[in-house]
Amino acid sequence: MKFEFQFPDIGEGIHEGVITKWLVKEGDMIKEGDSVAEVETDKVTTEIPSPKTGKVIELRASNGDTIHVGDVFVVIDIQENAEDVSPEDKKDTLTEKKEIVEEENAGVVGEVISSSEVIAPSDENKSDSEDKSNVSKVLATPVARKLAKDLGVDINKVVGSGPSGRVMKEDIIKASKEITVEKQKVVLDETLKTTADLKQEKTIIEDERIERIPLTKIRKTISEKMTQSKFTIPHTTAMDELDVTELYEFRKKYKDSLKEEEINLTFMPFIIKATISVLKKMPEFNSTFDEENDELVLKKFYHIGIATDTDRGLMVPVIRDADRLSIIELARKVEEISNNAKNNQIELKDLKGSSFTITNYGSIGGYYGIPIINYPESAILGVGRIVQKPIIKDNEIVKAWILPLSLSYDHRIIDGASGARFLNMMKDLLENPEMLLLKA
Amino acid sequence: MKKYDIVVLGGGPGGYIAAIKSSQLGKKVAVVEKDKLGGICLNWGCIPTKTLLSYAKHFQDILRSEDFGIGGIDKEKVYVDIEKMMLKKDETVNKLVSGIHMLFKKNGVDLYNGFGKAIDENNINVNGENLSFDNLIIATGAKAYIPNIKGLKESFESGKAINNIGILGLKDKLDTVLVLGNDTYAVEYATFYNAIGADVTMIFEDKNILPDYDSELSQTLERQLKKSGVKLVNNANIKEVRDDRVLVFQKDKEKEFNADKYIVFYGIRPNLSGIENLKLTKDKNGFIQTDEKLRTNIKNIYAIGDVNGKMPLAHVASFEGVIASENICGIDSKIDYLKIPKVVYSFPEISSIGLSEAEAKIRNINYSIGKFPLSANSMANLKGETSGFVKILADKDMYGEIIGLHIIGNDASNMIAEGASVMNLEGTIYDLAKVVHPHPTLTEAIVEASLDAIDKPLNI
Repeated sequence: MKFEFQFPDIGEGIHEGVITKWLVKEGDMIKEGDSVAEVETDKVTTEIPSPKTGKVIELRASNGDTIHVGDVFVVIDIQENAEDVSPEDKKDTLTEKKEIVEEENAGVVGEVISSSEVIAPSDENKSDSEDKSNVSKVLATPVARKLAKDLGVDINKVVGSGPSGRVMKEDIIKASKEITVEKQKVVLDETLKTTADLKQEKTIIEDERIERIPLTKIRKTISEKMTQSKFTIPHTTAMDELDVTELYEFRKKYKDSLKEEEINLTFMPFIIKATISVLKKMPEFNSTFDEENDELVLKKFYHIGIATDTDRGLMVPVIRDADRLSIIELARKVEEISNNAKNNQIELKDLKGSSFTITNYGSIGGYYGIPIINYPESAILGVGRIVQKPIIKDNEIVKAWILPLSLSYDHRIIDGASGARFLNMMKDLLENPEMLLLKA
Repeated sequence: MKKYDIVVLGGGPGGYIAAIKSSQLGKKVAVVEKDKLGGICLNWGCIPTKTLLSYAKHFQDILRSEDFGIGGIDKEKVYVDIEKMMLKKDETVNKLVSGIHMLFKKNGVDLYNGFGKAIDENNINVNGENLSFDNLIIATGAKAYIPNIKGLKESFESGKAINNIGILGLKDKLDTVLVLGNDTYAVEYATFYNAIGADVTMIFEDKNILPDYDSELSQTLERQLKKSGVKLVNNANIKEVRDDRVLVFQKDKEKEFNADKYIVFYGIRPNLSGIENLKLTKDKNGFIQTDEKLRTNIKNIYAIGDVNGKMPLAHVASFEGVIASENICGIDSKIDYLKIPKVVYSFPEISSIGLSEAEAKIRNINYSIGKFPLSANSMANLKGETSGFVKILADKDMYGEIIGLHIIGNDASNMIAEGASVMNLEGTIYDLAKVVHPHPTLTEAIVEASLDAIDKPLNI
């Protein structure tokens, strides 16, 4: 029986996801609970578990395709259970198929029925090429077959150590280690080619002096998202220094008394407040560029992502509808979500759906940085460290508290002048806290 | 001086199989045996014990023939003629031993009957004759271990204490038996004597009667033995063995036991005489150290069977013989002790392969477990032998690969082979759950246990 697996509603508000990686191939046997694909939603990449045990007979999307909740994306034959005979079945049928093709080539005219329930049309070149090499059946144990698949080992190339050359679990483990070593060698060779310095070549070749660490899932996601952003969006960055001396004094005045109420009043809530005020006037900064339809998608909500440094890597918890919160509420919220992110207590719903992101690298120590846009947003605000500096005011050198801001934005949809205007408006608000309170 | 490709020292189940296999692989082979071909197993071990147990089972069946609707048997008149039983057993043993002589002839294996003394790493002396060899397979087996318990040695000398060899020479029926120790033989002889009507008491140091088996099996057997009337004295320290009594400390209390004979089983120690000239690496109990190909530290010398102490069982010795021969002949093969079944021929039988649940825990394996009681199996019911169960363990992180099968029940010895087959093919619990078994058979319980490990059995 065919089971059409619809992309499930994996959490509040997620309507679609992008398939970043298929974890099964057509023909694979899967068990209930086995992940079928890695799907990236707004902010997190999550594995989608199969609700059924059976054989994957069709994958209805390719890597990178967007699927919506309710879309059938995998078809599973649930009549067959999680058996390990499947690869043989598959290969047998393929052998049949191949023979038929040869007959056709030889000019046999007539009906050749080659359909098989087991075999699904495969669009993926990868599985095609794999299947072709699998024409002859390899003697292997069930566990060895599955392990080979999972470790990406071509079982046909493995010399079996079992009776009659049967490929055993151990052989696959050994082969996968060899592959890793080979891959490492290739990387080293490539590096050597591009390295002119002979001495440097020597140090690279010394395996023991390098360490290879596999990326964690979060790191992979960060890496993919950063690449996607930087290679898709032509970034440009505007920077400016803001004299926030008044704001500094203002904050100082209330900071301690609020502390008694356990509110940690930082500059961040003011910056968020000012940003939202500007976003309302310049909606292109709170938008997404829909490349496929050449449309600008303006967002009428203000979900502000706060880039947060955690042990596991960068995370961006989101303050939803931040425009509806007061300065003090924002102060509380900022503290809450960043703590949750740091303590790994953040929920999926708090990591998705931001419309604009703020990154406060100054909290760690930088003055200026060039932030990378949190794709698919259109802009990101970088906040540097506030320092006291001498400035010239009314022809005199005076002390002032300076806040450096850097704004990266999607240059496809936002011109340089708009970037400068954005920062000017930020300046107006943050340099005059009263104005900020009135306007924001 | 004769020259052989391979000399096998010892003609037990390890040695004689190694010789036949080597000969089949084209080698010129000689076996040196000081006593009888077939070794302990055929002459004083597996075969005679199981023969006697099988007779005892018949006796038990006769006693309960009313259960099967068979009348006319006067239980008072039915008795065991131990002398005839032993003679019958000898017939079986002799037939099997002569079978090996025939196999040697057929396969062109030369037999030297005499004590073999290794001169160096390429020469051995038998009855004054020198045989040179390229490879030596040591298959000298083991002997009973007699621990240093006060008076035990003397008891053996007086004939009050006996082990398997002594038992098989007995012509009289014993009324009372003390079994000291708790290995497989101890349990089997306790079972035998209990079944033929003797009063049996087992005294042992451990908590469980079979510490090497999954504790659930051991506990179930303990209950069954007690039900049959065997007295179990566990956690016991034997203080002194005297011909008139055995003094035992149990929970700081001194107890005394007496019986017609003391049957003593405290494991084994290797037979190393004749190979003193070879500088072999041994473990603390003297067993020759070998690897998965049965190689010793000396390049051309292999050691198989009880003498390496790995798993002192006849079928292990035989298989080790095959592996050693193959490796000598250039065939790359090895043994995996986790895929070898072991059996206790108690009533009911116990069989086991792979990891016990406790071992799986120690190894941090993420396992799933399936169980099925024989009381829910139709064959067990129709035979009226429903005590026992099947327990199966699978590695969840390795696609459900079966890592252990443990059975207690009538005919467990035959059922375990299924686990051995599947495990050697690295089969999974999902594979096994989908294998159709004939009905009614006891092996259906294995399928049900597999289903239980995955989800739910069908017949309970």
